[in-house]
Amino acid sequence: MQQPRAPYGRRSEARADGPGSRRDGQAEALYDGETYYGRPAVKPSHYRYLIATYFFTGGLAGAAQIIAAVADLAGRDADRPLVRSGRYVALAGALLSPALLIKDLHTPSRWYNMLRIVRPTSPMSIGSWTLAAFGTLSGLAAFGQALDDLGAPPWGAKLARLAGVPAAGVGTLLATYTGTLIAATSTPLWATAPRHLPALFGTSGMVTATALLGLILEGARAPASSRKRLERLSLLASIVELALLFGLERRWRDCGVAAVLDEPRYAVAYRGGAVGLGVMAPLALHAWHLARGERTARAATLAHLATLAGGYLQRTLLILAGNESARRPRLYFNLTQPAPALDSQGGRRAAEASSAPGGRP
Amino acid sequence: MVVHPPPVHPRALEHAESVLRHPIADESELTAGVTIAPDKRYGFFTDTTLCIGCKACEVACKEWNALPADGFELTGQSYDNTGALSATTWRHVAFVERIAADGERATAMPPYQSHWLMMSDVCKHCERAGCLEACPTGALFRTEFDTVVVQQDVCNGCGYCVPACPFGVVELSLADGKAHKCTLCYDRLKGGFEPACAKACPTNSIQFGELAELQAHAERRVGQLHDQGVLRAYLYGAPDTPGTTGAIGPLHAFFLLTDRPEVYNLPTAPSLPATRVRAGLLAGLATMTALTLGAMAAFALGDDE
Repeated sequence: MQQPRAPYGRRSEARADGPGSRRDGQAEALYDGETYYGRPAVKPSHYRYLIATYFFTGGLAGAAQIIAAVADLAGRDADRPLVRSGRYVALAGALLSPALLIKDLHTPSRWYNMLRIVRPTSPMSIGSWTLAAFGTLSGLAAFGQALDDLGAPPWGAKLARLAGVPAAGVGTLLATYTGTLIAATSTPLWATAPRHLPALFGTSGMVTATALLGLILEGARAPASSRKRLERLSLLASIVELALLFGLERRWRDCGVAAVLDEPRYAVAYRGGAVGLGVMAPLALHAWHLARGERTARAATLAHLATLAGGYLQRTLLILAGNESARRPRLYFNLTQPAPALDSQGGRRAAEASSAPGGRP
Repeated sequence: MVVHPPPVHPRALEHAESVLRHPIADESELTAGVTIAPDKRYGFFTDTTLCIGCKACEVACKEWNALPADGFELTGQSYDNTGALSATTWRHVAFVERIAADGERATAMPPYQSHWLMMSDVCKHCERAGCLEACPTGALFRTEFDTVVVQQDVCNGCGYCVPACPFGVVELSLADGKAHKCTLCYDRLKGGFEPACAKACPTNSIQFGELAELQAHAERRVGQLHDQGVLRAYLYGAPDTPGTTGAIGPLHAFFLLTDRPEVYNLPTAPSLPATRVRAGLLAGLATMTALTLGAMAAFALGDDE
């Protein structure tokens, strides 16, 4: 006798009449069944303020090295203070970052095991080697810069440039891999944005680096033209960051995992603090400065401080909200509903065509 | 109905005494009918229709692996006072009650856990394991039995395997600062013993064996249940079944379930976190390259000196 198929017996058939079926052609499949007493289906990371601070300092250091290299190669004589500050800030970040990471380990005495293997599937392994390379190169660049500053040997400037350019190259990875680090997990808020998060963290690193270097230049009374060029870069990166923030929100809504950030405690701090005060307000101020053609040091300083606070808040909230999303089985099940065997265009298997969970493009 | 006498392994007759003075060589041949040898794949088949919720597996696991107790709290969630897999709990029996207060009498309901689901959860020892691919130290490794184990003398407690696991299995212990999870009794396998939970299971709900044989046996079991009218029975984690999506591949500890996976707190279509690495790195590098070009323009162009 022909037996009916079990309802979840085969992956490709699971969607046919299962509860995860799409309500229409476009809407994402959301889980509407029961959960196991509401208990978490995956475990949240233990990451909190130490890692948030590292994401901030690592991104800032990587971007500072990039800015130093760009100002060194494409800038003018007036940009020398900027190059110098960029290299020293990058070194400071390269020294602070591993300290934060080692402190976060639960067995810190074994930190060197991070350099025991190379594992390309692990962003944590990639990051360890990236940080090691960045630290070495940034140290050399800062050493060359220091020699040059002291006016000692003539090859100081050459060493700084020779090490600074590859350091900037590694800096692009350092500033962005942290987004991949959290996206390559099973945490709903992070796993749904594997492209947005690295782009956002890198861009935010660039914006916060311009802010910190801007503060230093203001304090050092560096040439106004250099400060203006830096502000121009800040405006550009802020616009990109704002676009990415909006794209990220849309992505989360599409995937049905935005619920955590809609809660008052996260919504106010994230939308009002990290996005509003941290990105939109400084962006408006920089745009106003550049449009008017004249600037006030006090307003610029305020904008830089808001940017730095916003960048730190952004990392902290994305980590805390991500952990919270992992505690909610419904959010995880929303992104682990089976993909349809064929997409609307037919032919292509959606689950294999995309790296995103659930096979959504 | 013909009642068959329980099968006795011929070698069992060699050990008729009740006090054994030494371990039995290749004991697994007697208790599980499996000869354990390196470079073969071993796993668990957990048939939830046979589970009676006795938690002998939890206890046997704790005893063998010397795992501490988790406290004596009552959750109020049926008979599940364990809650979840953790650093110190490597088998977890889930209980889902299906009897409404004024519903059908349990004796009038169809057999095979139609009204009370019990399932002994465990590390899945995935074909491509999220924890292993996330581990930066190589502490997590694949053994000669194709299982996934944390080397306690290497782990530095970075905790990245914890959010990486698509099934919420591995956890950091705050007591020793290392990650812990089921080892599929690596030490016992080395000594020719079947894993403690499988040996302790009184109903053979937990079956240990060579993976291919277990999978074939599980398919037959599903067919048998379908013949008996349990049409909801299906495999979770066997090749091409739920739980094996997103590059994870067959789970070396797989299950026979009778309700949708989420009811047991399992994802229907999980994905391997490492599949998101390449896209993320490329997106990040592309963004930074574009920003660097933008920065070049911001510094090189313009009328200012």
